[in-house]
Amino acid sequence: MSVELGHYALVLALATAIVLSILPIWGAWRGDRPLMELATSGSLALFGLVAFAFAVLTQAHLASDFSVKNVWENSHSLVPFIFKFSGVWGNHEGSMLLWLLILVFFSALVAIFGRNLPDTLRANVLAVQAWVATAFTLFILLTSNPFARLNPAPPEGQDLNPVLQDVGLAIHPPLLYLGYVGFSVCFSFAIAALMEGRIDAAWARWVRPWTLAAWTFLTAGIAMGSYWAYYELGWGGWWFWDPVENASFMPWLAGTALLHSAIVMEKREALKIWTILLAILTFSLSLLGTFLVRSGVLTSVHAFATDPSRGIFILCILVLFIGGALALFAFRAPQLNSGGLFAPISREGALVLNNLILTVSTATVLIGTLYPLLLESLTGEKISVGPPFFNMTFGLLMIPLLLAVPFGPLLAWKRGDLLGALQRLYVAAGLAFFVALVFYYVENGGPVMAVLGLAAGLFLVFGAVSDLWFRAGIGKQAMGVAWRRLVGLPRSAFGTALAHMGLGITVLGIVAVTTFETEHVVEMKPGMTAEAGGYTLAFDGMRSAVGPNYTEDRGHFTVSRGGATVADVWSSKRLYTARRMPTTEAGILTFGLSQLYVSLGDPMADGGIVVRIWWKPYILCIWGGALVMMFGGFVSLSDRRLRVGAPSRRAKPVKAALEAGE
Amino acid sequence: MTRKQKRLAIIGGGMSFILAAALLVMFAFGQSIAYFYMPADLAKTSVPPETRIRLGGLVEKGSVARGEGSTVSFAVTDNENTVKVTYTGILPDLFREGQGVVTEGKFIAGSDVFVADSVLAKHDENYMPKEVADRLKEQGVWEGQEQTQ
Amino acid sequence: MLFWIIVAILTAAVAIVLLLPLLRGAKERLSDRAGEAAVYRDQLKELERDQAQGLITPDEAEYARAEVGRRLIAVSSGMEKQVARGSGLRRIRLAEIVVVVTLPAVGLCLYSITGSPELPSQPLEARLANPGNDMGILVTKAERHLAQNPEDGQGWDLLAPIYYRSLRLGDAELAYRNAIRLLGGNAERWNGLGETLIAAADGIVTDDARAAFEEALKLDGSNFRTKFYLALALEQTGKQAEAKAAFETLAKESPADAPWIPLVNEHIAKNGGAPLATAGAEKPLGNPTAEDVAAAENLEAGDRQQMIEGMVASLDAKLREDPKNIEGWMRLIRSYGVLKQPDKAADALKRGLAVFPADSAEGKQMLALAQGMGIATEGNEQ
Repeated sequence: MSVELGHYALVLALATAIVLSILPIWGAWRGDRPLMELATSGSLALFGLVAFAFAVLTQAHLASDFSVKNVWENSHSLVPFIFKFSGVWGNHEGSMLLWLLILVFFSALVAIFGRNLPDTLRANVLAVQAWVATAFTLFILLTSNPFARLNPAPPEGQDLNPVLQDVGLAIHPPLLYLGYVGFSVCFSFAIAALMEGRIDAAWARWVRPWTLAAWTFLTAGIAMGSYWAYYELGWGGWWFWDPVENASFMPWLAGTALLHSAIVMEKREALKIWTILLAILTFSLSLLGTFLVRSGVLTSVHAFATDPSRGIFILCILVLFIGGALALFAFRAPQLNSGGLFAPISREGALVLNNLILTVSTATVLIGTLYPLLLESLTGEKISVGPPFFNMTFGLLMIPLLLAVPFGPLLAWKRGDLLGALQRLYVAAGLAFFVALVFYYVENGGPVMAVLGLAAGLFLVFGAVSDLWFRAGIGKQAMGVAWRRLVGLPRSAFGTALAHMGLGITVLGIVAVTTFETEHVVEMKPGMTAEAGGYTLAFDGMRSAVGPNYTEDRGHFTVSRGGATVADVWSSKRLYTARRMPTTEAGILTFGLSQLYVSLGDPMADGGIVVRIWWKPYILCIWGGALVMMFGGFVSLSDRRLRVGAPSRRAKPVKAALEAGE
Repeated sequence: MTRKQKRLAIIGGGMSFILAAALLVMFAFGQSIAYFYMPADLAKTSVPPETRIRLGGLVEKGSVARGEGSTVSFAVTDNENTVKVTYTGILPDLFREGQGVVTEGKFIAGSDVFVADSVLAKHDENYMPKEVADRLKEQGVWEGQEQTQ
Repeated sequence: MLFWIIVAILTAAVAIVLLLPLLRGAKERLSDRAGEAAVYRDQLKELERDQAQGLITPDEAEYARAEVGRRLIAVSSGMEKQVARGSGLRRIRLAEIVVVVTLPAVGLCLYSITGSPELPSQPLEARLANPGNDMGILVTKAERHLAQNPEDGQGWDLLAPIYYRSLRLGDAELAYRNAIRLLGGNAERWNGLGETLIAAADGIVTDDARAAFEEALKLDGSNFRTKFYLALALEQTGKQAEAKAAFETLAKESPADAPWIPLVNEHIAKNGGAPLATAGAEKPLGNPTAEDVAAAENLEAGDRQQMIEGMVASLDAKLREDPKNIEGWMRLIRSYGVLKQPDKAADALKRGLAVFPADSAEGKQMLALAQGMGIATEGNEQ
């Protein structure tokens, strides 16, 4: 019965979302406060209902209730507990329910933390959120109902796809969705502002924490997904420019642009129209990503099931929301007055450059991802646009951005002094170049471009440090004063520096791995050795082992350096029994920031086995940098100023504040 | 600079950047797009050597032979025509005779052996690469799911 | 019933949450734009801080201050212009109606389409603890037992034919081999293994399968299945004369009314012989049906028969609880017919007709089926 209660709760959530889509907007339009208030409590109720439905589905998965079709299709009584749990969203229906849960979670957060917003804005924002929720609840109930039942219940489930039976995957989708769906709040704010026809600097301040939160989670989600692909797929790659990866990367790029343009809007009230457009585009890209992944137009690990009715339904949602939003934008944007002026060389100018590059590179990724689909549907010709395309276009476009990033924070608003910024950065640049050369020497060569790449990454790191350095006035002021100034800097300054530094670290990792990586494919018999990254791997032989729901052949390697054994590593080929599906579990050894990656191939007739060994120098920098970026995001989020705007009791009358200001 | 000039400078700079990016995209498309072929297509049209293409079909039964080290040769077929392929590296977990596969690489001048640098067989037991499945269905060679055992 | 009560409570609770702001009416609140003003005041404070720390020059600070000040003035003038618009009572009433109508209407309508309120939750543990006559769960239970005690030959012996029946041929082969390894071979196990191998090879009697039947023959020289498949092996390897002889011997040895006679005759004919006199034509149902063949092939499977009866009984029980299931009734009537239990079939028909009257489409369907199977329908045809 509880399963059916969860089902009913989801249906009731649809009814609630419909009410929330209509009444608050009506209230905002007529200036009727009780109707606007309804949005707040209603959003909380909506969250409660969806959370209950999700909890029920989770319970069904944990209890292996195979009378629920979704459980039967994606679980098995012998799957370990954690994967019964992650199996809830390791499938189409469950992951859509998670999508919805996170959407209404953000609505609830806006309802709770949005007390400082004007009533009409909050009501409209929550109503727009409810539109999205209505569309997706309908989608779930009509095409992908996770509560569909089976009678009689089958005795055993069909098992979760073995590739998805991994801790990384247990965390990856929720993080990714927190980011993806978090941008819905920015979208709703943009639509609400367009409906009211009033947008100003305060709007940007209110949107910023949501953008920041979504961006932070999306950063984490993408990094997690990349690391998962790296160690679970056994191919040693960490980014494939797979359409599904691109689907999550495009909102990230657009979201990064949004984050920066919102700063200009907040400080100078400039770029208003652009910022609104970016907010719409970012969430549109999230929706597009959902469509690409969920409709099954791409065949990939992520397309759990393909069902044309689902694809068409999501396509309708996509067209409705993106088309509607852009139409509203086209209709309203001309009425918005433009804001402050600035010189090309200024903080604003730098942020415009950032936006230009980020949006253009988003566009290239979009073209590369959609072009094969378009070409096939138009001409029937099948082509593939692979990594070379993306590396060439995206890689080249990123170079000017990376070089420009350290300048941005050092330029003044309105009219900047490029020469002054250069003077402040030449130490960082020189140091970056020097360290890159040392690095190059230590790693014994490689392409000369590697030095430039490394220098660019290091320049970002040192540039971020210089920013804080000069702001605190270290060197100019007495140490004590400088320290006080450093501590007194707003948290967002640290957040900016950390995020830029993290980007630099990621670039370092990418350059180091692509240029200094070594790969050996060798056929090994027990007793044979192979060399990689200065380490010697001795193959000791294969052993059979049995896991809870798989059997595996594990190869054992002893790793030594200079004759002394340092570690040993297992690498295995698994066969998941329920689906008779083989997987490769790579053996990974971490030395500092570098890794040794051992993956097994096919056994040979003569008792040997093909072994693929990679030495991946500084690869952890790639994800470490993402972690630093994420940390920067959290530091910025904790900035006191983001909470400002709540009408506090001791707020001075406006006039007094004005006098204080003048 | 006057207001107008500032604005023009920004817009002009932006436009030229976008133009440069568009040219870059066109250039990259020309360089790196790989067309998809089935063995039967190759019998009809000829692909110039050194052109990157994707070749998809079924791995012919009994054709997989291991050479020295990790070099493997096999044949890709669509029951109309068969193309020999060599590949050095580790084959994916789900690479099996009689199952669908997509390889990417090129023909070397003066030889009709396809030299693949990547072999894809994705991670699903019933996985039939989408392009391959579509075309095989057209030809009526493959119907639905492969059997598990 | 309890379910519907909870549903009602849940709906009411959500409705109350939504209605509360409407019933409570408007609260006094600071101006709509106070939040904006607070943001700008904070920006001014930040400017002061930055200037005090020397992060920006006094010139820049002055300029920025003027800009923020202008925004602040714009806000405050907006605040003065704002007219307090009260909330219309009619509008509130209308909103209340929308809430009160939408929730139950959308909720119940949609749920009645997509939901199955009569189905209880069925967590696996509870089902294992109380399996009833759910065959699948019994199998799962046995599997779990065997995972713990893989050396329990009886368990494998029990599971093997069930696996075979449900076409889990790989599992069936493993189970038969384990049973033979642990309990030793008997004709039943070897036959089962042989049949499994044949099924796995799409009807070809492979060498492995033939070896299994030969083992069975050693243990029981009179088994029909063993001999039939061995004869089939001869036929498939092209030894027509030997195959014909084997089938003929088989037909002679069988009792005249054995249900497999037609099948054997078919094979004799196929191998160029003349069928022996058969009892098949006298059978009440005429030509051998698929059920006959299946029954013939599983002649000795007493436990299998029991298993089928268990399944049918479980279906019967389910229909008693939930009779609105025409598919179920059709299946039950057909099953009793095949099991040669005409009384029960007639009874099932009667109960089915109680739910779906004889003149309804479903009733006619059931009657047609019963007549086709030779089940008494008189009592129901009024």
